[in-house]
Amino acid sequence: MKKVALAILLAATPAFAHARLNASDPKANASVKAPRQINLTFSEKLEPAFSSATLTDAAGKTVPVSKSVAATTITLLPLMLKPGTYKVSWHSVGQDTHRLSGSFSFKVIK
Amino acid sequence: MTMVAIAAARGVYFAAIMVLFGASAFAVLLRKRLPIIAAVRLPRFLLLLLALVAGCIWLILAAGQMAGALTQDAIAQAAIATLFGQLSLVRAGLLLGMALIPRRRQKLIAFFSALCLVLPSATSHAAASSPAGFTAVGAILDGIHLLTAAFWIGGLAVLVILFRRKEPNILLALSLFSDWAIVSVLLLVMTGLIDAASILLGGANDASPSSPATPYLSVLGAKLALVLVMLGLAAANRFRLMPRGDDKAVARNVALELVLGTIVVLLAGALGQLSPSR
Repeated sequence: MKKVALAILLAATPAFAHARLNASDPKANASVKAPRQINLTFSEKLEPAFSSATLTDAAGKTVPVSKSVAATTITLLPLMLKPGTYKVSWHSVGQDTHRLSGSFSFKVIK
Repeated sequence: MTMVAIAAARGVYFAAIMVLFGASAFAVLLRKRLPIIAAVRLPRFLLLLLALVAGCIWLILAAGQMAGALTQDAIAQAAIATLFGQLSLVRAGLLLGMALIPRRRQKLIAFFSALCLVLPSATSHAAASSPAGFTAVGAILDGIHLLTAAFWIGGLAVLVILFRRKEPNILLALSLFSDWAIVSVLLLVMTGLIDAASILLGGANDASPSSPATPYLSVLGAKLALVLVMLGLAAANRFRLMPRGDDKAVARNVALELVLGTIVVLLAGALGQLSPSR
């Protein structure tokens, strides 16, 4: 029991409950060549029924994408993206039932 | 508003099921160790009804919280497609099943109410914020924390019943409770400290730096302060009033501890709704 407690305390880094966005690929505000997929990684396991993301272009028009939600990741598979600025809007629900949402943008270059 | 309602539903659910588990467990212990004391009659149906109604309200409101709007679809999705919803349905089934158990089978009632108590641990902050690979450990520690707290509060409820019926062997019951409560409280404090450290220091999955949120810390502080007062009352009973045989003062302290314990459980319900981080 002591070892388990120590492991929990020692493994700790700044973190908390609720499914927060930990990382994305492309990163926020990055300039990249047209990505084949957009990955959003969250801090805890997601509830797929209530977690999703959408992609919009600079004009605010929704870009059609295939979506999948697995464990801690939401993946968007867009068709070939033209150069321009895109915004990813996401909402996540972790197994603790709390909902978080947010967005970030990235730029596609030639 | 929704957060307050969920916290209240959660608090009522836990308060009812904790009293049911703790009182049943202590009643089993009393019957085994002190058969001289007549069986304690618990308000089982009232507690089951409270837990069932509060559990349903909790599920419905959580569905609205998860979906961003409360609709029939959201409720159905939450109940069927989320871990919290599936566990809520299992709990509802267990609560209904417990209504059919004969009153004398208190071991079975204690067992099933323990399940109802620990199942929400799988979706608790402690489980969610545990480092990768330690989710089950976080859930187990949270479960032990709930069971030991329930034994303390439920045992107090039994003692209040015994005082009210002027049980002639009340000092024997108090002494038995006190022996078990010491172990229970030690485990409670230990698991509580590990839970709090795990939640506030965080898990290994989140790279975004954040600091503890003030409302969460305020409620946690209030909860700890009340637990300290309860420990003070328990110590006064055990080491000062019981040796003196001051039944009236012990009865007053036990009733006060039970009231404070109920407030602590309601505060714990609020903690489950508040975000530990900014």
